[in-house]
Amino acid sequence: MWEFFSYFVMVPMVYIAFATLILGIIFKFIVVYRSPGIPGRLPVFPMEKSKTLGLLKEAFTIPAAFRGSKPFWFFLVLFHAAFTLVFLGHLELAGDIPVLRSIPHEVFLGAGALGVTLGVSVIYFLFRRLHTPHREISVMEDYVLLLLLFFTILFGSILHMADRYGMTALNIPVGDYRVYFSSLLALKPRMPVMITASPHFIIFILHLFFANLVLIMFPFTKMIHAAFIFPALSIKRK
Amino acid sequence: MEPEKLQGMKDAIRGRLTKPMRYYLDLCTRCGLCYESCHVIQGIHKREYSPVGRAEVVRKVFRKYFRPSGKFLPSWGEATDLDDRVMDELLDAAFSCTGCRRCVMHCPFGIDTGLIMGIAKVLLIENGTAPEELLMLSDAAVEKGKSIAEFKDGYRSVIYDLEKQVQERLGLPSPEGVIPMEKKNANILYVALAGARSIVNPAIIFNAAKEDWTLSFFEAVNFGQFLGDPEKMKFIANRVVNEAKELGVKEVVIVECGTAYRIPKFMLGPLPFKVTSIVELIHRYLKEGRIKLKEGALTAPVTYHDPCQLGRNGGVFEEPREILQILAKDYREMSPTREFNWCCGGGGGLVALDNENFRIKSGKPKRDQIVATGAKVVVSACENCISQLETIRSGYDLDVEVRYLTEIVAENLVV
Ligand code: SF4
Ligand code: SF4
Repeated sequence: MWEFFSYFVMVPMVYIAFATLILGIIFKFIVVYRSPGIPGRLPVFPMEKSKTLGLLKEAFTIPAAFRGSKPFWFFLVLFHAAFTLVFLGHLELAGDIPVLRSIPHEVFLGAGALGVTLGVSVIYFLFRRLHTPHREISVMEDYVLLLLLFFTILFGSILHMADRYGMTALNIPVGDYRVYFSSLLALKPRMPVMITASPHFIIFILHLFFANLVLIMFPFTKMIHAAFIFPALSIKRK
Repeated sequence: MEPEKLQGMKDAIRGRLTKPMRYYLDLCTRCGLCYESCHVIQGIHKREYSPVGRAEVVRKVFRKYFRPSGKFLPSWGEATDLDDRVMDELLDAAFSCTGCRRCVMHCPFGIDTGLIMGIAKVLLIENGTAPEELLMLSDAAVEKGKSIAEFKDGYRSVIYDLEKQVQERLGLPSPEGVIPMEKKNANILYVALAGARSIVNPAIIFNAAKEDWTLSFFEAVNFGQFLGDPEKMKFIANRVVNEAKELGVKEVVIVECGTAYRIPKFMLGPLPFKVTSIVELIHRYLKEGRIKLKEGALTAPVTYHDPCQLGRNGGVFEEPREILQILAKDYREMSPTREFNWCCGGGGGLVALDNENFRIKSGKPKRDQIVATGAKVVVSACENCISQLETIRSGYDLDVEVRYLTEIVAENLVV
């Protein structure tokens, strides 16, 4: 059972997750592009001189949140920045991407700080939801996604910490992650023994399991905002 | 709900799933940043009067019928069936929203809750529970468009009386032709409202500026838009578009009515003529020296209320201010102002409904803003806004005077 489950999570599910993520996002965009446009436009004024610059600035600095709530804005920016770095840090494990490799692996994963940042932000988001009025507008999806993220972050951080604090017995060396990820990328999946035999194997599988779930759900939940924000912000600039 | 009716409802939703709507339906993270941005929830604390609360009423129905989660795990997004209770919620959500789009400014994704309410409105029409008043008014406007010939003579005799008023005010020798109608190839086709004031004051200004203009047979107001019926909206708007094309005018000038301006300006696509608000036109006349105003004629402190459809949604911010700064000795800004200005609570056709108590309460932020300026004269450039500002004034017993911009311009022309 465990053998099957761990194999499933490490190999087929990863493929399913990435396929769903990529095809799902493409699908979501196709649905929009096949929908009728509107005859006119829906601008909001005043408009910046450079619409593209204005759009990027708005997407990355979230002025609406800054106006609305400073602490929320702070954690939003923190969370999204940390998320981006962690995502890049994982990509760097997968393939030989020279640009990413030029920065040490440690830096991407922030020597543990990114995990803490993400974890604290997610806890903040969770507790914020429990307060009026956010509690009244929250639905199951909101809590489930935050919990999935939280567990992904938690188990990821545990893995990282073993490496960080030189717990040799527990540690899975970066090299073996690389072997595993690049084997997946090459469509010749391998499960290095340093991973499967580690006492932390179960943590690794849990981390991967939750991460896969997040990727699978990405296109079909509100997480799609990461992609839809750009066309949406351009609507009011047309 | 019977299957057939339900199918009609689903089709009605599908008909409104345009590109922007698709984004707006999927995008909301329920972050709640827009929650307080609606004037209605400021006055009446109820979830459905917040932008996200309103939109979620629609989204929950949408999820039910258009998302797998709605079918297999309704609690995932609290998907709800279209039953009578939900229909009532939709009515409450849609016809308490003025479509002011203040919430767009407060949403990190620029989600337009007013647009989402379009779905609620078509569902209400389909269900036969859309507000009677708006149905009747929009049907009357459609009827007038279909049989305009029958209306023409009656309208001409009304205009003849108004011409005398303009003549008197300007001291002209004869009333003949001071309000031209059906004039081919004029520079301007002016579209007024039903009230005499919306014709007389602009006519005074046009005559003072020696403009080559003609008056439309139709009123600018679009009850089809307020009702949320896209077909009627288009028909009502096209009455003027066709009239302008037939007459061969260069420019269509819209009376002080925000929605009437926004529709031809932004919502119909490209048109073979320019669309201008009367406020912009007055400003242009001043710049070109075609009219002159009595400087500092208003001695009491004056403030300006940005009609949402003219300011935030129309981009006309500077013109009214520059006009008022000539007229007023003591001009004061509201706070917040311009694109963040509070909606007065009268837009979206709400002033046409029997809901005065609701509008007094939802006008609370506007009341507070006005009081904070200490102004004694509140000027605006939208008939809906003016009616609602009057409601706020009497509802809160404010010691202010509410004025149309064109009216004070017409009164203070140097002729
Ligand atoms: S458009 Fe205006 S009235 Fe409607 S929800 Fe947004 S802020 Fe409220
Ligand atoms: S601010 Fe935008 S994303 Fe946040 S709850 Fe309101 S509509 Fe949804």
